Amino acid sequence: MALPLPQGLTPLEVAFVCEMEMVTVIPRQQLKSQDLIAGPTPGLRPPHRASLPLWFALLLKRQRRANILPPPWLLPSSLEKILRHETEISPDTFSPPPPHPHPISTRPAATDHLAPPFLPSSTADAPPGYLPYHWLELGDILLEACSDDIPDADRVRTLLRDLREVRMAKMRASANDLEGGGVSSFKGVGAMEIAEGRQFIVGVMDGLRKLGASREVARREREEDEGGGAGGANSDDEEMEME
Amino acid sequence: MDISDILRDLDHHAEDPFAAHEEDYSPSQPSGEADLQSLTRAWINERGTTELLPWPQDNLIDRISTRIKSQVERIEQLTGDMDPTTNFTLIILQTELERWKFLTRSYLRARLSKIDKHTLFYLSTPEGRAKISELEIQYATRRQGLLHSHFLDSFLAAFPERLRDLNDTAGGISMIEGPDEEGAVFVRGLGSREEGEREDGVVVKGRGRDGDAEWEVGRGEVVVARWADVKGLVDKGELELV
Repeated sequence: MALPLPQGLTPLEVAFVCEMEMVTVIPRQQLKSQDLIAGPTPGLRPPHRASLPLWFALLLKRQRRANILPPPWLLPSSLEKILRHETEISPDTFSPPPPHPHPISTRPAATDHLAPPFLPSSTADAPPGYLPYHWLELGDILLEACSDDIPDADRVRTLLRDLREVRMAKMRASANDLEGGGVSSFKGVGAMEIAEGRQFIVGVMDGLRKLGASREVARREREEDEGGGAGGANSDDEEMEME
Repeated sequence: MDISDILRDLDHHAEDPFAAHEEDYSPSQPSGEADLQSLTRAWINERGTTELLPWPQDNLIDRISTRIKSQVERIEQLTGDMDPTTNFTLIILQTELERWKFLTRSYLRARLSKIDKHTLFYLSTPEGRAKISELEIQYATRRQGLLHSHFLDSFLAAFPERLRDLNDTAGGISMIEGPDEEGAVFVRGLGSREEGEREDGVVVKGRGRDGDAEWEVGRGEVVVARWADVKGLVDKGELELV
């Protein structure tokens, strides 16, 4: 009965989550609004565009009832720009994630605390030039299911592979900065990349923590003796780790 | 402590960030979409750490079971009048239904595996009990009972009386083992929920070997930290596990 899986989503579960992302479809047939558990879907009338969850769009696509409009970030020009950013502008960190589509305003809103997959980061009006959280899975699924809807699909495939390799190297290199504690930023990382790197990174963190446990306890005791303030000599290390 | 105490306790500490979040914006029952978001977040959170997280406080799971049940009934009705035009509709409805069922099942099973692993730990403290639902308490109690009588039958009975306990704390070491609270987790910033503070960043204080770090996690930023350092912020809904 109990789930025999380790901590963290598996790649298959990540793909499942990715299928909740909204995409834009151009229907080829009429379909009336469907009463789903998650609420009614928009009625489809060709040639009007509609936003649907990816799993629904894939059903329609498989039956040739609709075409999927690839998100702007998946176009070759956008991917080339991101790749340039990953290799030349910031060779050590991931390219930035897309800006939050619902900026914080002065009044609280229901959208304030939304996060992927419930942000419209892969619809036709998403901004180009940023890799959203589910970029790898979404790109893969779309190339598999509707390569005929994606302009220059072969080029997109090559670019995605290049991006993946560049970023995999960064993911591995990030282990150098881990210290077994503190806070290490992975800003811009993708869901599938976390799923792949989790075991390794969590293993490094936990291993280092256990190795350094006595040193950490000793430091804490020393700091308490000195009157609670963090030692000045240590602050350099902290900054190194956070970069 | 009996069930009603626990329930009262639950109501008291009702600190579910998603529930509060819903009440702020829709006074009536949360929409299906909101429930999907809450369930997905609860599931990913639960899968992201080794410690059991609090049971959702606003009847989320009950409401979702009701939704699933009524959708199954609807599908059964539709299959009754097998009209070729409803065929595709059925495929859509059933696909969505299966996705909900998968999410709910995976969520509950992830919780069960944690309860199985540290049954006594969650049963023996009020904080632990506050995290589990009534059904889960029944399950855990019965499981522990079966396990104990099995141990008794197979070997414990051969021991002297005072060595038979499974929750012995003699010698300063408790037999009851809990999950590793210091384990590393991946979390994402969701933005501050402080009253009046309309800001993106959430400050995480991470304890380290050579120094303690403070890092402002922006909305959508993913960081790695120790679970014990971020737990409070995940409870508040300012961070989510990924």
